[in-house]
Amino acid sequence: MRRLYARLARALLYVGILGLAAQALLPLLWMLSTSLKPPREVLATPPTLIPAAPTLENFARLLNQTAFVSYFLNSMTVAGLTVLLTMAVGSAGAYSLTRFAFPGRESIARLILCTYMFAPIMIVVPIYILARRAGIVDTHTALVLSYSSFCLPFSLWLLRAFFQSIPLELEEAALVDGAGRLRALIYIVAPLALPGLIATSIFTFTLAWNDYIFTRILIISDELKTLPVGVQDLFSAAVVDWGLVMAAGMLITIPALAFFMAVQRHLIAGWGTGGLKG
Amino acid sequence: MPALVLIGALILYPVAYAIWLSFFDKHSFFPASRWVGFGNYDRLLGDPEFWDSLWKGVVYAASTTALQLVLGVVSALLLHHPFRGRTAARALVLFPYMIPTIVAVIVWRWLLNETFGLVDYTLVAWGLVRQPIVWLGVDHIMTSLIAMSVWQFTPFVTLGVLARLQTIPLELYEAARVDGASAWARFRYITLPQLRAVMFVVILLRGIWMFTKFDTVWLWGEGAGAGAEIRTLPIYTYMRTFTYYQAGFGAALSVIMFLMLMAATLVYFGFFWREEEAAA
Repeated sequence: MRRLYARLARALLYVGILGLAAQALLPLLWMLSTSLKPPREVLATPPTLIPAAPTLENFARLLNQTAFVSYFLNSMTVAGLTVLLTMAVGSAGAYSLTRFAFPGRESIARLILCTYMFAPIMIVVPIYILARRAGIVDTHTALVLSYSSFCLPFSLWLLRAFFQSIPLELEEAALVDGAGRLRALIYIVAPLALPGLIATSIFTFTLAWNDYIFTRILIISDELKTLPVGVQDLFSAAVVDWGLVMAAGMLITIPALAFFMAVQRHLIAGWGTGGLKG
Repeated sequence: MPALVLIGALILYPVAYAIWLSFFDKHSFFPASRWVGFGNYDRLLGDPEFWDSLWKGVVYAASTTALQLVLGVVSALLLHHPFRGRTAARALVLFPYMIPTIVAVIVWRWLLNETFGLVDYTLVAWGLVRQPIVWLGVDHIMTSLIAMSVWQFTPFVTLGVLARLQTIPLELYEAARVDGASAWARFRYITLPQLRAVMFVVILLRGIWMFTKFDTVWLWGEGAGAGAEIRTLPIYTYMRTFTYYQAGFGAALSVIMFLMLMAATLVYFGFFWREEEAAA
């Protein structure tokens, strides 16, 4: 009786886990399947689960007949520059927060947590007006600056946690041995902080890569648009070409998932220090 | 230090500017602006659309947060059990959270398409419904939006709870087992109390982020004839600023949103502390 009960519980566990995996994966597999179907099969009733005649036609059309490649490059540029700027400013800030004592150091840390309360929607209005004043509306500069200002608090928070875990003694030893602060930074601190720097970069990259609202507001010209907005326009056409849209979905997802796979291990560690936002 | 000053400027300046802006009657494009004091706030309180969008926003945030919490804890408990392929399953479950919002939205709009969508086809084929359900129509759009958001954001809760579960000492469970505690009792008296702190943070963050969620809601509604049905407060703020060009009014809405979140957070913290004291 007891064994039967244990077996039943085991079976239930597996059913639950299968269900869990299915709900996460099936929608994405359906996207893959649709993206490989020729237009007629996309709208077939009953729907075919696996494409009867798989084709890369949708991908070819996406790359040749739409501005997808340009959106893709724009997204790469903007996300890349955001990471560079955020990391440069963020690690300098985190370094000074952990290495130099100054009044209000702890309250700055607490203030950073407060910014968790800000969503993009609350700062888009002022950012838009400020960008207009500065005359940088419809430039990638505006995007990079707004992403950076939005990413900085939590990058700083995350980097601070990583810098704190690096023993001060190591740096002091280097200083005693005659290294300057800069050399100590490059040879001692940077290598130790590398996992943290990587994890933070990925979070920043993902945020910039996935963002919709800032691009929608700050970018007007089609040739400057990033992926989410570009694809949304593709999808707002009068008759939605689902095969094409799903192909676009696949191509946007791949970089995001690749990054995710790369940092998966750091993710759980990062969560504890508040590394995920969205 | 200069870095910190720069950070302060980058973050605080827009916020301060939003507050400043909310006291003006300002067009979103033209430079002219006029000081109106609390005029925008006054107008806002008498604006039925504001109250309506606030209500929609609260409904959306509360229902999605509650569902994410329950489903997230259940999935974390499942994934905490040892089984073959657990590492892969854990990574897999996070997918919906990691894909860009635009992708999550287009995939679900395709699945829920009333003519060619897989979901309606399956429901009709299995005889569960007679007519395809118009998921994106006025009657069901809020329901489908909530379902889709829960799908997208639950992994955050799963991840947080799972990380915490892994740090609960196994000895606690063994001791309870020796004392003859049932599985339910072990969950109720060991697991749940240990999860309190992480749940506190998760509820707070998810609540705030769902209340201020813009892109998911906006993309879900656009082009589907969705108007007021899913016009939550962030959507209303956006529309006031970028559809009606009332930047001052939009800024006032942002400030109100922020103040409400602050107030809710303080109440939430107070509540939590009181409970802590009562428990101690």
